[in-house]
Amino acid sequence: MALAESGFKVALLEAGSHIDWMKEFKHRWPYELPFRGRGEPGLLRKYFRGSTEYNYRIMIDDRDNPYTTAPEKPFRWSRSRVLGGRTLHWSRASDRMSDLEFKAASRDGYGEDWPISYNEIAPYYDRIERFIGVSAAAANLPQFPDGSFLPPMPLNCAETIFQSACRKTGMPATPRRVAQLTRMLNHRPPCHYCGNCVNGCDVGAMFNTVVSTLPPALKTGNVTLLCDSVVSHVLMNDEHRARGVRYIERYTNRPVEIEAGIVVLAGSSLENTRLLLNSQKGGLANGSGVLGHYLMDQIGGAGVSGFLPVLKGARIRNDDGKAGGLYVPNFSNIGLRAGSGKFIRGYAMSATGGAAQFPAFAPGLAGFGSDFKKQVKSLYPAYARVWLSGGEMLARQENFVELDPEVRDRWGIPVLKIHCTHCDNDRRLYEDFFARAQELFRAAGGEIGDAKPFLAVPGSLIHEVGTCRMGADPKKSVLNSFCQTHDISNLFVFGGGCFVTTGDKHPTLTMMALTARGCDYLIDSARQGEI
Amino acid sequence: MTRREIGWLVVRAAAVAGGPQFFADWVKAAPPHAGPPHAHELNSFAPPEPDRWSSYQPKFLSAEEFKMLDAFTAILIPTDETPGAREAHVTPFIDFVINAAAEYAPEMQREWRKSMNWLAGRQFGQLSGEEQLSLVRQMSEEGDGSSEGKGFAVYQLIRDMTIHAFYTSRAGLVDVLEYKGYAYLTEFPACTHPEHHQV
Repeated sequence: MALAESGFKVALLEAGSHIDWMKEFKHRWPYELPFRGRGEPGLLRKYFRGSTEYNYRIMIDDRDNPYTTAPEKPFRWSRSRVLGGRTLHWSRASDRMSDLEFKAASRDGYGEDWPISYNEIAPYYDRIERFIGVSAAAANLPQFPDGSFLPPMPLNCAETIFQSACRKTGMPATPRRVAQLTRMLNHRPPCHYCGNCVNGCDVGAMFNTVVSTLPPALKTGNVTLLCDSVVSHVLMNDEHRARGVRYIERYTNRPVEIEAGIVVLAGSSLENTRLLLNSQKGGLANGSGVLGHYLMDQIGGAGVSGFLPVLKGARIRNDDGKAGGLYVPNFSNIGLRAGSGKFIRGYAMSATGGAAQFPAFAPGLAGFGSDFKKQVKSLYPAYARVWLSGGEMLARQENFVELDPEVRDRWGIPVLKIHCTHCDNDRRLYEDFFARAQELFRAAGGEIGDAKPFLAVPGSLIHEVGTCRMGADPKKSVLNSFCQTHDISNLFVFGGGCFVTTGDKHPTLTMMALTARGCDYLIDSARQGEI
Repeated sequence: MTRREIGWLVVRAAAVAGGPQFFADWVKAAPPHAGPPHAHELNSFAPPEPDRWSSYQPKFLSAEEFKMLDAFTAILIPTDETPGAREAHVTPFIDFVINAAAEYAPEMQREWRKSMNWLAGRQFGQLSGEEQLSLVRQMSEEGDGSSEGKGFAVYQLIRDMTIHAFYTSRAGLVDVLEYKGYAYLTEFPACTHPEHHQV
């Protein structure tokens, strides 16, 4: 959007199709779907992992787009190939990272600092928040910086109880910050609290690119949108400059070359890296040798669930209509001492409860008959859970992606082989979360029903970042702090690939802010003839 | 035009006209949905269930098995003051799902076939209502992994699918659970209970 509005002629290439979101996204009740949300038996589990019958058609088909892992190192990679991509069904959590994360290495001695500080990125957080609309409450916490917010969404009963429990236990708590409008903004209507967000918002009240950034970009007349175009290579000229890309027409398999003065990759963290690895032997812009390395996801895993007795038998309310929850910002390792001794870095929790559409607890109750029905109804508004929103997974060189030497996708492009495991610190962080989640649940007066610790496979949180890290030193990083490759001045890589650490916040807002900052730099540099 | 469609238009129109307050008042003033009894308490945004089951013919189960399963699911979720498995068309839905498993989940079909055979071996279809109830209870109590545990596995298989089928039907979700989501609201209904602010 910024590039088109600055007068650049932009060819926007999208590997997926151009769906009409106004037709595609609507409230669909489970009984309106053939399989009530679970899809044709076996289909989603085999080929559309992590998706549901509501959204699998905007997710990726693993048969066309495989990836590989070592057998003992499973990684879950959730992808979406469609105009709008994963912004169509993301969790909308929009958090600012703080210097406790950007400069964590200086505090605890592990890894590298980011080449930017909070003060440098803060104006871009402001700009993004004002444009996309983030409903939130100021929390006045150094580890969770406040911003330019729309009014927060109110808490439901269970969240209010958890907030009281946080006060009692000394944990910080605030309504989850979400890119979901509580007031009309930029011609987009406010949320109508249907709770259907992750299946695609039917009115454009949650941020996604097709309702927010794309329309103003297209309005400039400077954008040529090319969907169903699977980019395979960045093309180089003899002067070691990018001269364009080669893409494959998705349905005809015809290769096409397109020339450009500046090439910008923004096709998700790992797809960008795959493209660089495929564009040149050893990887394009890989003078440092770190391209593909330092892969991270945030740490996720089983949370704690059960019932809040005070809500048993309560009148049924629209509890899941905002799909947000209560957010418990990180409280670990933020004091003067950089480490608690148990682990370094931090994590954030979320809590919610009340009548969610399907009574997920019902299969776990014993019995049958009228008594069972009455028990389900009574517990329906009382069900509650605390989960791990995200914990920092340490950046390690040995977690990496490479091109698989044998497997190719439907268009003949080598696929990624992903190598990713957890380390001891990751496990200790998860254990700490699990203990504190139970503490919070009990403080809320809750009866814990299900508490089996289980560290999720890497990738499960869908916060995969890294593999194209930024840094001040070209020997140790691929990008500078403006997401420009150190090696090729007219090649930029936007998205999560540049992350030096995961931090404990949801990564999307930071990706957007870094992109806005990088675009400002790109525009200025191009105007001055520097790239 | 259904109320649901009207709600959708209101949200869209509010964006264009910039008059959320006008529409907020309009939504409140709108007449209640003409529907089944107690509609004032139920989710008036919930569309009717598509008529897929009234003339449904079993595809995977034999007529005898279908009858057996129908009796079993009606014991699990009976019709009492509120609708049960029969009103929710649980059995035809289960048959539809198992039948569709042929391509990607043939193991699911094998498991159901074995379970139906197990039930037929107990002459479930020929038992009186009380005897059926007694057998279901016995199966439900066999969760200890003993040699008789097969009955428990059959019970669990049918029960899991019945719970899914029932609580995703309109009868289960709207009439029984009174689910209030998938609405068009101008404000999120905040917690209004002072006692929830202290624990």
